[in-house]
Amino acid sequence: MKDQPDPPKTDPLALTYGAWLLRLWLAVRALQTGIEKYAGTTASEAAVEIDGAPNEYGLTADATEKSYSLDNYHGVPETLMGKFEGEPLMAGWALSVYDKVLGPALIILGLTILLGVLPRTSLFLLGLLYVSLTWGLILINQNDGVAWLAAHMILIVMALRLAPHNRLCLFRKW
Amino acid sequence: MSDANSTMNRRGFLGRTAGAAGAGLVLGVPAIARAADGANDKIHVAVVGFGKQGRVLFEALSNIPDVTDKLHFQAVCDIWDYNRKGGMAKVRALQGSLPEGYVDIDEMLAKESGLDAAIVATPDFWHAPHTVKCLEAGLHVYCEKMMSNTIDGAREMVRAAERSGKLCQIGHQRRSNPRYRYTLEQLIRGQEICGQIVNINGQWNRSVAASQDIQFKPSLKIDDPVLRKYGYENMHQFMNWRTYRDLSGGPISDLGAHQIDIFNWFLGTSPKSVFASGGNDFFKEREHFDNVMAIFDYDTPQGGVRAFYQVLTTTSAGGGYYESFMGSEGTVDISERAAFTRIYRESSAPSWDDLVRRGYLRKQAAAPPAGGGGADAIASYESAAPEAYQLPGELNKPPHQPHLENFFAAVRGEEKLNCDARHAFESEAPIYWVNPSALDKTLIHLTDEHLSV
Repeated sequence: MKDQPDPPKTDPLALTYGAWLLRLWLAVRALQTGIEKYAGTTASEAAVEIDGAPNEYGLTADATEKSYSLDNYHGVPETLMGKFEGEPLMAGWALSVYDKVLGPALIILGLTILLGVLPRTSLFLLGLLYVSLTWGLILINQNDGVAWLAAHMILIVMALRLAPHNRLCLFRKW
Repeated sequence: MSDANSTMNRRGFLGRTAGAAGAGLVLGVPAIARAADGANDKIHVAVVGFGKQGRVLFEALSNIPDVTDKLHFQAVCDIWDYNRKGGMAKVRALQGSLPEGYVDIDEMLAKESGLDAAIVATPDFWHAPHTVKCLEAGLHVYCEKMMSNTIDGAREMVRAAERSGKLCQIGHQRRSNPRYRYTLEQLIRGQEICGQIVNINGQWNRSVAASQDIQFKPSLKIDDPVLRKYGYENMHQFMNWRTYRDLSGGPISDLGAHQIDIFNWFLGTSPKSVFASGGNDFFKEREHFDNVMAIFDYDTPQGGVRAFYQVLTTTSAGGGYYESFMGSEGTVDISERAAFTRIYRESSAPSWDDLVRRGYLRKQAAAPPAGGGGADAIASYESAAPEAYQLPGELNKPPHQPHLENFFAAVRGEEKLNCDARHAFESEAPIYWVNPSALDKTLIHLTDEHLSV
C-alpha cells in the first residue's frame, strides 16, 4: 500500500490573526466612512485686523475647522446626487431613502463587524451594501469606483472564508 | 408681512415710498435704494424659479444666521413639478412649514396676500416679465443676472422699479462680496497699489465635460402644452435654455456678465466700444457660440484702458475664472475663488512692506528670480518676476449670501442696495452688444443710445 502524503499543517493562530486583521480593516473602513458622512467644515469667524482694528468688510481669517454633527449629514455626496437624479433607472424615492440610510448602515455594520456580532451575516450585509454602491457607480460610469469596491468585495470574501477562525464573537454561528 | 397689526403692510409701504420714487425720477438717480420702514418684522418671500440657481440662492439664504426669524418663505413658483415640489420640501425642512406651491406667477400674485419680496431665479427671458409683475404687485425683487435676455427687457425692469418705488437688486453677487469691495475700495482706490491701470484681462474657462447638455429623466418630463405656454418648444429647450438665442444671451451673458460687470464697476465707467469674435467650435448644433472673445475700450480719468474678456466652454486649462487688473505698479487678479486670487507688485513699484505690516496685504513666498541662466532664458528680454501677495482675509460664507443679506437689509431699511436695477443696467448694457459684434464681426461704438435706459 502506498503511503498517503501528510495533510498540510494548519496554523490556527495565523488563521485567527488573519481573520482578525480583515475584521478590523473592514470594520474600520465601514465605521469611519459612515462617521465621515457627518463631517463638515466650519469657517473661521475671526475678523482680520487692518491698521490694528477689525476690518469693516467682513473679511475673516482663512482657517477652517472640521467638525462632526447630525446637521452635516450627507449620505450620497452632493456631486453624485445630481448625476443620480438624472438617471432613468434610479427612482427618486429610492435615492432619497438610500441617502438617509447609507451613513447609519455603514456605522451599524462597522460596529457589528468590529465587535464580532453575527460575524458572517454582518459581512454578508456589508457585501450587499457594497454591491448596491457598485450598481450606482455603474449607472454614472464611475469605473474607478467600481474597481475600488471590487477590492473591498475580495476582502469580504476572504473574511468569510476565514470566519471559522474569527474568535471572540457573539452569535458566531451566524 | 401678513400680520394685520404690523406697520409694514404692502399698501402702507407704497404710500410712504411714492414720494421718494418721484424725487428719484426727477433727479435721474435710482428711485429707491433702501426701504423706508419695518426693521423688525419678518419678511414674507416668494421664490420664483427653484431650478439650479434657485437652489443655490436658497442654500445661501439658509446659511443666514436666524434666517427663520427674519424671513418666511410663503410661496414657491415653478412650472416644473420636480423643481417646485423639491423647493417646497427644502423650505419645509428649513422653516418647519410648507409654502404654497404655484405653477403660474399670475395665480401666485393674485392669491398670495402679504408677500413682501420675491427672489426671481427663472431663465433669463423670464426675468423681465417676472420682475415687472412682482414690482407692480408691490413686492421688492431680487432678480438673478443677466437682467434680461434683451436690452429692452432690462430697460423695462429699471423703469418698473422706478415707477413702483420698490427695491430691485440684480444678482451680481460680487458687488456685495467683501473680498471684492475691499480690493476696490482699499487696495485699488485707497492705496492705489496698481498705479495706472492700463489693461484688464478676464476669463472663464470651462471644460467640455462641464458644458454638456443637461439631461432629464423622461418620467419627469413637463407636458408639451405647459412647456409651450411658458415659451419652450420642448423639454431639451427647457433644460438647456442657456444655449438658445431666443431664451438667453449665451455664455457671454451666463458667465461673462459677472466679470464684465467687475470691469465696469472697478473702472467706474462704461466702455466706449466693443469688438468681439465667437464660434461654434465644438458644440456645432447649438445656437449660441461655444467660445467668445471680446475687447472693450475705456476712457478713464487716468487714461485709456483696454479690457480683454474670453469665455470658453470647451477648455478648462488656463487658470479657471478671474478678473485681472493690470497696472504700472501692480496687478490684482481677483476671483470669487481664493485659489484664483493673487496680487503682484512690479519690481519698480514702491515697497509694499508697510501695507503688509499694517495688514492690508499678506505676502506670499518669494518668487524665483528671473533669468537665472536657464537654457531658454534671454535675460535682456525678461522682466523681473513680480512679488506675489494675497488678500488679508477671506469670505467665510457661500458667495451669494452677502448679496442676499444686503437685499433683505435694504428691505428692512438698514442698508442701501449694492446693485440696484439702474446701476446694474449701466454695467450690463455693454454686454448686450457683444453677441451682435461677434455675429456681424464689427466694432460697435457704444453711445448713449446703446447704453441708456
